[in-house]
Formats: sequence, C-alpha cells, structure tokens
Amino acid sequence: MTVYVCEDSLEGIFTGIYRAYEEKRDRADTMLSLEDEPMLFAEHVKVGPDRSRAAKVIRTLERRFGQEDYLSLCMALAADDPGKAQAVYKTVARGLERNSAPGHLFDDLADGDVHRAFSLARGASREFHHLQGFVRFQEVEDKVLYSAIGPKNNVLTFLMAHFADRLPRENFVLFDDKRKLFGIHPAGGSWYLLQGEEDLKPRPCPSEEEERYQEAFRGFCRAIAIRERYNPQLQRNLLPLRFREYMLEFQ
Amino acid sequence: MQYLAGGGEDPLKGKLEILASAAKYDVACTSSGTDRHNDGTGTGNCFAAGICHSFSSDGRCISLLKILFTNECIYDCKYCINRASNDVPRAAFTPEEVVRLTLEFYRRNYIEGLFLSSGIIGNPSLTMELLCRTVWLLRNRYQFNGYVHVKAIPGADPELIRAAGFLADRMSVNLELPTAEGLRALAPGKHRKNILTPMRQIQTGIRENQSDLVVYRNAPRFVGGGQATQMIIGATPENDWQILQVTESLYQKFELKRVFYSAFVNVTGDRALPSLPGGPPLLREHRLYQADWLLRFYGFQASELLDESRPFFNVMLDPKEDWAVRHLEQFPVEIRRAPLERLLRVPGIGVKSARRIVAARRNADLTFQDLKKIGVVLKRALYFITCGGKMMYPVKLEEDYIVRNLTDVRERVRFGSDGMTYRQMSLFDDGRFTGAVSAAEQRQAAAGQF
Ligand code: SF4
Repeated sequence: MTVYVCEDSLEGIFTGIYRAYEEKRDRADTMLSLEDEPMLFAEHVKVGPDRSRAAKVIRTLERRFGQEDYLSLCMALAADDPGKAQAVYKTVARGLERNSAPGHLFDDLADGDVHRAFSLARGASREFHHLQGFVRFQEVEDKVLYSAIGPKNNVLTFLMAHFADRLPRENFVLFDDKRKLFGIHPAGGSWYLLQGEEDLKPRPCPSEEEERYQEAFRGFCRAIAIRERYNPQLQRNLLPLRFREYMLEFQ
Repeated sequence: MQYLAGGGEDPLKGKLEILASAAKYDVACTSSGTDRHNDGTGTGNCFAAGICHSFSSDGRCISLLKILFTNECIYDCKYCINRASNDVPRAAFTPEEVVRLTLEFYRRNYIEGLFLSSGIIGNPSLTMELLCRTVWLLRNRYQFNGYVHVKAIPGADPELIRAAGFLADRMSVNLELPTAEGLRALAPGKHRKNILTPMRQIQTGIRENQSDLVVYRNAPRFVGGGQATQMIIGATPENDWQILQVTESLYQKFELKRVFYSAFVNVTGDRALPSLPGGPPLLREHRLYQADWLLRFYGFQASELLDESRPFFNVMLDPKEDWAVRHLEQFPVEIRRAPLERLLRVPGIGVKSARRIVAARRNADLTFQDLKKIGVVLKRALYFITCGGKMMYPVKLEEDYIVRNLTDVRERVRFGSDGMTYRQMSLFDDGRFTGAVSAAEQRQAAAGQF
C-alpha cells in the first residue's frame, strides 16, 4: 500500500493524483490522504503542491468529464472531510478506467467512493448556494463592501467568482472567519485570496447611509411576512441558525 | 385615507414598509428562469435556478425587492387590502426611489432583483407607464443587470406592455380568481377577458422573440424568464378539480412558465368573503403546488389526479400517492428495468432520483440500499417497487393496507394530540419533491409557496 500525503488544497490534491498516476501503482493499493498518520504496512509519500502538475490534471479532468463534473469534483474537495481526497481520487480513477462520458462521472452511485464524492460535493454546493443569497455586505470606508462568513466547507473561492461576476465595479472583501481567509476584489480588476490575521479585518464604522439601508432592509423583512402564515419552524429549516449570526436582519 | 407624514423616521423606510406590506400577498416572486452574466460594465447577473436571500418569519423566501409602486387604487376588489374603500395608510414611490433602493439593496446582496407591481393610479396605462419608466431607468441609466419581474397591468396600452417586456426577465398578469364567475363576484372593475388579453400578448411576444433569436443571436430578449400568473385559493367556491383544469390550460394554451397559488387571507372582512376561522387554506394550497409539479415534471394530466366525481384532493395522501393507490394494477414497478416515465410515477421517487436510478443501473444491479443512497424515500416507495423481482418487505399490494401505512406514522406526527396543525405538517413534505427544477424552488416548495 502506498499513501500519498497531500496538502489540503485543490492544487495539493490534484498534484497527489498526478503522482499516483505517474508512478502507475496498482490503484487498489494506492491511497490519497491529507493526514500524515502512519498506517501499518504502508509506504508514505509526501507530495507538495505543484502548480503545473495540478494544471495538467485539471485539463484532463475537464476534457474527459466535462465542466460540470469537474466543478463537482472541486466542490467535493472544498468539503470539510478528511476522506475527500481519497473519494475524489477513486472516483476519477474509476471514471478514467470506464471512460465515463462528460456529465456521467457520478452515475455509479451504488459505488461507495463515487457516492461519497457525490455527497460531499452536494453538501458543499448546497452551502455555496445558501451563501450566494445569505452573504450580507456592508459598506465600510471608501465605499468598500465587506462581509464575513463562517462556512463549514471551503467555499470562499466559489463565492468570489460569483460576486466578481455580479459586482464587477465594486471593491469588495469577503472574510472567511473559520479559515482566516480573505477574498479581495478590486473594482474592475481580478480577485485574489489572502491568508491573514484578524487585524486585517476592516473595522465596520457604518456611515449614516449604511445604517439607513440596513434599517430599511430589516423593516422590509418584517413587512413582507404574512402574520396568518407565521411559521418560525419552517423559517429555521430553510435558513439554518448558524447562518444568522452573519445576517443583519437577524441582529 | 391618511398620507405618510415625513420627518421623524426615515421617510423612505416608512414608504418601503407600507409598499412591501401591501405587496406581500403576491406570491409569484421567484428569481428563476434567466441565466445572464455580467459583461463587466454594469451591476448584476442572473441564475436560472434563482437565489433565496432570506426567509421571512412565515417561512417564505425573500428573493426580490417585492413592492408596489403605489398602494393607491381606483378599483375596489373585495379581497384586496388596497381596495379603494379600505382605510389604510397610502404611499407612492417615485421611479428614482425604487431605483435607488434596488441598487443599494442589490450591491449589499440583500436581494436578487426587483419585483414591481402596483395598485392602479389614475388609469391602467398611467400605472404601466410608471412601472416602465422605473425599470427603464434601472436598466438603461444604471445598467442594472439583475433580475426584474414586472406586472402587466390589464387594460394598459399594449405598447407599454411590450416595452416592459423588453426590459423585464419575467412578467405576470394576475388571474386573481380561478374562474370568471369568481372574478365577477369579487372584483367589480375587472373582467376575465381584460386579464387574458395581455397574457396572450406576452405569450405571442415570447414566441416571436424566440424565432427572432434563432435568426439574430443578439436580438433583445423579451420576457426571457417566461410568464407567470397567480390565483387566490379559497376566496371563491371553486373546487380543486376546476382549479387544476384552469392550471392545465394556462400551461398548455398560454404556455406559462409558472402558475402560483395563494391561500386566501381575509384581510378586508368583506361580507362577500368566507371568514376561514381555521386560517388560510394552506393544505389546499400545498396540494395544488404538488399537483402542479406532477403536471409539469412528472407527466401527469389533470384528469388523472381529479375528476368530477372526486373534485377535491385527498387530505391524508399527496396527489401522487393518491393516484398510486387507486392504480395498484400498475405496480409494483421493477427498479432495474422500468422506463423513466414509470419510475416517475412511484411515490417517494422524485425527478432527480428517477434519473439517477436510470444512470446507476447501467453499471450495477441496484439494491434497496443503493436506492437509499440515490435519494429515494423508501418508506413511501417500498409498497410500489421491486428490485430484482423482490419487494423490500413482504407487503400486500392492497389499497386499505397501503393507505393505512402511508398515513400511519406521518399522520400521527402531523395531526397528533400535541396540537400540531398543517402549518407544521408542511415541513415534513419537503423530501419528496426534489424535482428537476431549482434549489430555490425546492426550498420554496417545502414552504408550499413560491
Ligand atoms: S386592482 Fe384590485 S387587486 Fe389590484 S390593487 Fe387594486 S383593488 Fe387591489
């Protein structure tokens, strides 16, 4: 058994997959892991992230499985789960072996690894879709928009891409509170990530105007509810409490 | 009638509260149907699946800035809180105010776009013109590229409706009440014909636009997200069968994208209206949404679900279960072989799980365990399916027995002695309609509303 120990990032895991293929080991006897926990009777190989190798893997995945399935693989790798690298590796290997057509990589849900990768991707993309709606920007100094989030899965990159397309002319900053990771988008430019300390965080000193809009939105949320249909339980099911600490209408 | 006094509180906020509250009974407010990227110059984009930005305390999704332009109205529809004879605070926005609110809310990610309706101020054309001007400003002066849903006001100049169609992603004309008789009884100023005319105009516009788009790829889009409508359920005496037939013909004859149902809330206390001591008819509304999905995505026809001799939905079973127990001769369905259309008719199997079954069985002999992974709700499906010729448990394919089992556990929870009502019950109905459509719609489906 060979265990490739990779860094917990797209680049890291894709590099791991590259190595596993390069060395042409028996697939059933190969594992990808994120933790360097020694396993008995296993050879451990540390793999550092390598941009050009990862890029090669990405190109292959996109070409063979199509954009949608490739994105699902990325979503699975954004999940907060120690077994994700292995599940994705096995799913990819299986897809390559069986020559899955684009859009059919996740067909074999009866297979344990495919199902695992599929479930992880589904969980992460669910959270991503939630946050597409639940992120609340507030204006801090110089018209910069700022929002903090605390996602279970590492979905910041997906959100940055989403908001960069949506608000190309805004300066905005998204801060992942759990991972201390900043996404920064300068108006008219391309966005980037920055691992940083709390003190990089802009101190929200809401202007009068900012407070006005926050108040207006709170009022709107109250006004739009129908009293005769009051149903806080349903509201909680659809908008889990963990998101609310970051949402102004619940403050 | 009182006008809102300025000063003190933020006047814009005061207006917003009046005009959002006045719009809250309008339900046709998803942000779905359009996919559009930003070219880097404006503000906003759209996703066909729609995005929910928040949920209000009634569990309904907040996606769009849903407001009336004004709640003044020259008409006196008996069910409507804004009717001319009702004594409520009135307010009106200016187009600039709506534009500012939309843009400022949008960049803070409070909303997905604008839903603009209005009471009738002056006359229908004047009202429509105000709506048009607002959206025109938003689109052309401020390059707003997010979602816009505008009401077509019946009786307005067709040119104005056409102009609005080139600015909006979605348009809707409210049917208000399911039948012409209902309308006559409760909305003295309105006629069925006046409502269907703009609906037809928009349908024709969409069709022509589609053929234009084939020829000129960059032709401007006309109501690209499709047309919708809504009707109020329970204010007039129509039965479910009548309503479902109306729905079916709206989909077939008017090619609507969506029909929405709004459980009647008696807000005016008019003597012509039912008093509904049990609250709004939420279960009925919910059953209609379920049946609506069966029509749109599961290949059912209205006449299979209800007919003259059974004009109301079953309270205990959802429309698909109800159909299945009345057609036991078509079951069990063999999971490893049955065509997609038959899988879709099994209770507990949604559109997604049916597709996944078809994909997964190419490579494996599926077991009940696999079905669970795929997302099939086995406790409902098990009476109706076999895997490799075997049922999950030895069960009788017999109507009374199945009905008892399908309703047993659930109904004890739902109608149990702990005083739970339908309001809580609707929560448990989510899983089964994981349909082909959008995540946003699924979430809303759980609420029995859209
Ligand atoms: S036309 Fe009728 S339903 Fe519409 S706002 Fe006026 S009174 Fe209400």
